[in-house]
Amino acid sequence: MDAVNGTATMLISNYVFPNDLHVHWSMMIVLYPYITGLVDGAFIIAALYYLFDIKSLKPLARFSLLFALAFLCCATLPLLLHLGRPERNLNMLLTPSPSSAMAGFGYIYAVSMGVLVFIVLFVYRPDLVVLRDTSKGLLKLLYRAITFDSRDLSTYSLALDRKIIRFLVGIGIPIAAVLHGYVGFIFGGVKAIPTWSTPLMPVIFLFSACLSGISAIILAYIVIRKITGRSIDSDCIKTCIKTLTLFFILAFAFEMLEVFSHSYLKSGYHHMVEGLLNGPLASSFWLWQVKICSVIPLVILGVMAFFRMGRAMYHFWAAVVSAILLLQVLIMRWNVVIGGQLMSKSARGYTEFHPQWFDKEGILAVIIVMAIPFMILFVLSRIFPFWTPDNETTVT
Amino acid sequence: MKLSYRLRLLIVLISLGVLTGGGLLLKHLLLPDSFGVYGPYRANAIAEAALVPIRHGTNASCFKCHAYEAGIHKTGRHQTISCEFCHGTYMDHVENGRKIGTLPVKREKQITTLCLRCHNTEIKARSELVIKTVAMPNHLADQNVKLTHNCNQCHHVHAPLKYIIRAKQMTRWTEAGR
Repeated sequence: MDAVNGTATMLISNYVFPNDLHVHWSMMIVLYPYITGLVDGAFIIAALYYLFDIKSLKPLARFSLLFALAFLCCATLPLLLHLGRPERNLNMLLTPSPSSAMAGFGYIYAVSMGVLVFIVLFVYRPDLVVLRDTSKGLLKLLYRAITFDSRDLSTYSLALDRKIIRFLVGIGIPIAAVLHGYVGFIFGGVKAIPTWSTPLMPVIFLFSACLSGISAIILAYIVIRKITGRSIDSDCIKTCIKTLTLFFILAFAFEMLEVFSHSYLKSGYHHMVEGLLNGPLASSFWLWQVKICSVIPLVILGVMAFFRMGRAMYHFWAAVVSAILLLQVLIMRWNVVIGGQLMSKSARGYTEFHPQWFDKEGILAVIIVMAIPFMILFVLSRIFPFWTPDNETTVT
Repeated sequence: MKLSYRLRLLIVLISLGVLTGGGLLLKHLLLPDSFGVYGPYRANAIAEAALVPIRHGTNASCFKCHAYEAGIHKTGRHQTISCEFCHGTYMDHVENGRKIGTLPVKREKQITTLCLRCHNTEIKARSELVIKTVAMPNHLADQNVKLTHNCNQCHHVHAPLKYIIRAKQMTRWTEAGR
């Protein structure tokens, strides 16, 4: 009888609604904002060069566009893998309902894809025209198609290209911001999960997106240039780190402000959120997201900003801090997506999440999904050269 | 054909417009006729749904004939449970007011299985305040009855505490600590 009584006590004190018992949105839904976020941040770097004329970012501008494109290709992949019948997503786009937030994402995604593809085509056109003449077979046909079968590289047409690029990047920035802000809005729109349902969600998501994308670009640039034995542009890395610092401070400040305002207001589900952050999420939120992956980078970035250091040292710490911040954003996504679902709307209990290796949304699936954008990036690098030849000469 | 770069871009732009128009046309062709009349769904679906034959009755439909069971069911703890929940679908039994078939009656071990569908402690998501749950065979051992007993040997299936309350009244026996 004691056993029965014991269980009964547990049931009342840790009562979880049946539909809250299982974490439905698991690791694929963690990857969804992560991948869209990488796209956003990479696009910001390109926009800073093409629209705001920050000249020092020139070596990275083209690469970040391709990086954004590779990840944008996979932005919906985790969502589709999460669905039982992925082909039905087209129904949602054919018959959009004003009460369905997901359909809106489909349209914004399609528009941003179109804009990004055309930006890449116009940015690369002078190179593609040259490559068209040196290539053979199918690749030549591809180059003919993506240069609109035109060899015109006159001053007039290049000026026209520049105007088009400025226009496309100009509309691209709000589209990119809306794309990721919308991801935050979709989470914020889920009333059933108290930690998601805040108007601050799109803001936090947007800043952390810029953070992760810029980190990814810095890390990828340094790693790829090192591996291929090319020089690294210090000015470019410095500008990136400064931008990264700004976005990191904003992202981290908003993440903390959200927690502090909740704990000060003590509104609604506060007691549950407090229990969540100090209970099931104590290690992944306070230790990993805040202490290890936010406070340490803050110190490193501070040292990088205030003290002079050698070029090699600066590049090393830039790579390290970018890697930590990439992890920070991934953990933040985890804490929001998985963490939010660990508390029941019953306001009485918490549930648990154990990642599986070979699950449909398991760790192996996560690794595969994260590897695909890099494969796409490799294929893109065969068509669109990452680096301009003058990079090598301008870099000292 | 020699076209200027500007003209080619114009062609790209027009193609994009045509593609978008084509997409909208395709959307129009793919949408069912009555879609969007009332909202983002097929209006005809309402009429079609209304044509689906009704399969279920209410407890009142059952009680019209089963007056004896009604008397017990309405007084017991199970009064809010639908008859069909345990016995099956009304339309398999009655059509146009006439009996057309016999619903299967659960017997012996099937009874226990049926009861545990709701009353099993293993179903952790249920509060003891709302529904009494037990672990088998611990419950039988606790009550000092044979482990082969079925639930309905102590509990009336329509009014689970009917016999228990009666037994307590007759023996003036109370459970320890209550």
